[in-house]
Amino acid sequence: MTSRNRWIRTAALGAACAVLLTACGGGSDEASDEVVTLKVNDWGNFGLKELITEYEKANPKIKIVENVGDYDKQHQDLAKFLVAGSGAPDISAIDEGKVEQFRNMSAKFTNLMDLGAGDFKDKYLEWKWNQTLSADGKTQIGLGTDVGGMAMCYRADLFKSAGLPTDPDKVSALWPTWEKFIETGKQYQAGIKDPKKNFVDSASNILNPVLSQQATQYFSEDNKLAMDQGPKAAWDIATQFIDQKLSANLTAFSKDWDAAFKTGRFATLTCPAWMMAYIQGKSPEGAGKWNIAAIPGGSGNWGGSFWTIPKQGKHQEEAYAFIKWLVQPEQQIKIFNEIGNLPSQPALYEDPALLDAKSAYFSGAETGKIFTKAAKELKPQYFAPKNGEVRVAVESVLVAVQQGKLNAASGWSKAVENAQKIADKS
Amino acid sequence: MSAPSVDEVDPATGPPGPPAVIQRSEWRSRLTRFDMKYAPYFMIAPFFIVFGFFGLFPLLYNGVVSLQRYRLDDESSNGWTGLDNYSLLFSDSEFWMALRNTFGLFLFSSMPQMLAALFLAAALNRQLRARTLLRMGVLLPYITPIAATAVIFNQIFAKEYGLVNALLGWMGKESRQDWGADTWSSWLALIVQIDWRWTGYWAVIFLAAMQSISKDLYEAATVDGAGPWRQFWQITVPMIRPAIVFAMVMTTIGGLQLFTEPLLFGDNVANAYGGSLHQFETISLYIYRTGWLEYDLGYAAAMSWALFVIIVVVAGINAALTNRIGGRK
Repeated sequence: MTSRNRWIRTAALGAACAVLLTACGGGSDEASDEVVTLKVNDWGNFGLKELITEYEKANPKIKIVENVGDYDKQHQDLAKFLVAGSGAPDISAIDEGKVEQFRNMSAKFTNLMDLGAGDFKDKYLEWKWNQTLSADGKTQIGLGTDVGGMAMCYRADLFKSAGLPTDPDKVSALWPTWEKFIETGKQYQAGIKDPKKNFVDSASNILNPVLSQQATQYFSEDNKLAMDQGPKAAWDIATQFIDQKLSANLTAFSKDWDAAFKTGRFATLTCPAWMMAYIQGKSPEGAGKWNIAAIPGGSGNWGGSFWTIPKQGKHQEEAYAFIKWLVQPEQQIKIFNEIGNLPSQPALYEDPALLDAKSAYFSGAETGKIFTKAAKELKPQYFAPKNGEVRVAVESVLVAVQQGKLNAASGWSKAVENAQKIADKS
Repeated sequence: MSAPSVDEVDPATGPPGPPAVIQRSEWRSRLTRFDMKYAPYFMIAPFFIVFGFFGLFPLLYNGVVSLQRYRLDDESSNGWTGLDNYSLLFSDSEFWMALRNTFGLFLFSSMPQMLAALFLAAALNRQLRARTLLRMGVLLPYITPIAATAVIFNQIFAKEYGLVNALLGWMGKESRQDWGADTWSSWLALIVQIDWRWTGYWAVIFLAAMQSISKDLYEAATVDGAGPWRQFWQITVPMIRPAIVFAMVMTTIGGLQLFTEPLLFGDNVANAYGGSLHQFETISLYIYRTGWLEYDLGYAAAMSWALFVIIVVVAGINAALTNRIGGRK
């Protein structure tokens, strides 16, 4: 009897535990006539707010929840969700800088070719389309949102105080090259006569755009580290801003950097199209003070994203219908006009609705002309899976140079050492 | 089935009459014995089951993972690698840097913290006005979420518009100290933050221990001519030794796992770098970055095990050393 009792008690205890454990699970299958909720994960500003309302109005059975997070964190979480097999949103944005890593996991994404994405092939910039395409050309994991063609944003009011020209064309003429840009910086410092007002915000916001103008990023196409090519050239230009005291030496995207927008701590900021949304967000009172000129050193691409549909989602067709709608010309133009993210479909660069766009915030700058011109000249670069990791490591050493802990030369050997360590780990 | 024994007759349907009464009482007494013998195990079972799932299993599985190449972003190459991850530890200069930072921050934060907590407890142990208010007040930093504390301290130690730099400027010393830039300054900022949080907590623990010390001892010491300083070191501290040992062990465990403060002190929290050249990167931070930001779970697991062993050893040494305070009994 004792044994029977023990058995009953054990069973009861086991049952209680089982109930406790399954209680955490949950989740139910929705019937087909119910409202489908699509979860969308992104960061910064993709200009979705009003478009979601519009789409929900046209499709009453779809509800869209946008989860705007931190840039790095969203990518980190997505990688975890894909491996764990659950938790991923129905639609996930992926940035160009991280795309190679996710393309290696293409089996975990819905192949958009199966849903009819092939129709878009000829509409996109070829390199943009290829960035999310598997090596055999059969699996397409993403549809492009924007590209980061670059310009140079500058504070016309501060330029005026420093005795520099303020008209965009004249400003652009000041700096055809980065050397001339540095010369202009020296003139600015001499004119403004205030050590707490610098020409640029941080060396890393010089390093990244200069690197994007080079032939290669941190790795060559056979995934070999290529530090002495593009990266070295970008490093040498970026560190000159520190040595010549032209940089406010802030850490880009840090809290100090955010706060510095309000105090006029820096007069220029390299502007990929998506940076316009950042500036407007950080500094609403800067309206009418900022303007946009051409970037020195020719065109390059910095950033730009994709919509993807993780395979684990239950509503792949509804998700695809939504992103397909998002990348249509009307929506792309709306996004550009609202926040400045530049479409990645070249046909739109001829569209008057985009071409004639002007930004009131940026003193009426002809953003349409500036950025379509930049986009047409873009040369694509190759991004190795570890490119993002090396970029973070090199930027960190550059911060150490800004802090005065290393000089340009010793910083460079440290950067190479750290990059090599990351490359060796694989 | 064998022939039914008396035991197995169900009391409800069993034969009526006196035998049933005997059986029932016998059944009850067995139940009582059973209760006495086994019920306690069932009562403590929930803890062990939960600990097994969420404590022991992860710990052991971590050991299994540490013997593999286990990358989240490249699953095709995963597999057993034996002790490779552990041998990498010895040649990884960043790991040793993180170890140095962890121990440095632990030592330089725990020593002043323990001393300050002792003195604070002694002060609160006197007859003071608004005693309860003060005693509860020192706990306030502890009940504030770390993230909230970190936001405030990041403002205080900010380079551009920080309070400390502003105060230095106001005192006539123009300062643009970038507190996160150098080892000493970043450690100082972190130590202030850690001690701000924990000093009051340990003061309350010490205070509770001090209140159990008999007044007779102090009276006798006063009669013998011992001053307050002497009484503090010769009576108070030895008498609360168990509390101090406990505090040292817990501080060792917590201090060597230091994570949130250095994570949030960094300029770019999402990258978890622990300073531009890792000057305030702790082992926990390095483990987190390796595992979840660089997707190398195998190496992160190996570091976790190394940290586990280090903590066990150091906490043991610490307990042994602290036990010698004021001589052995």
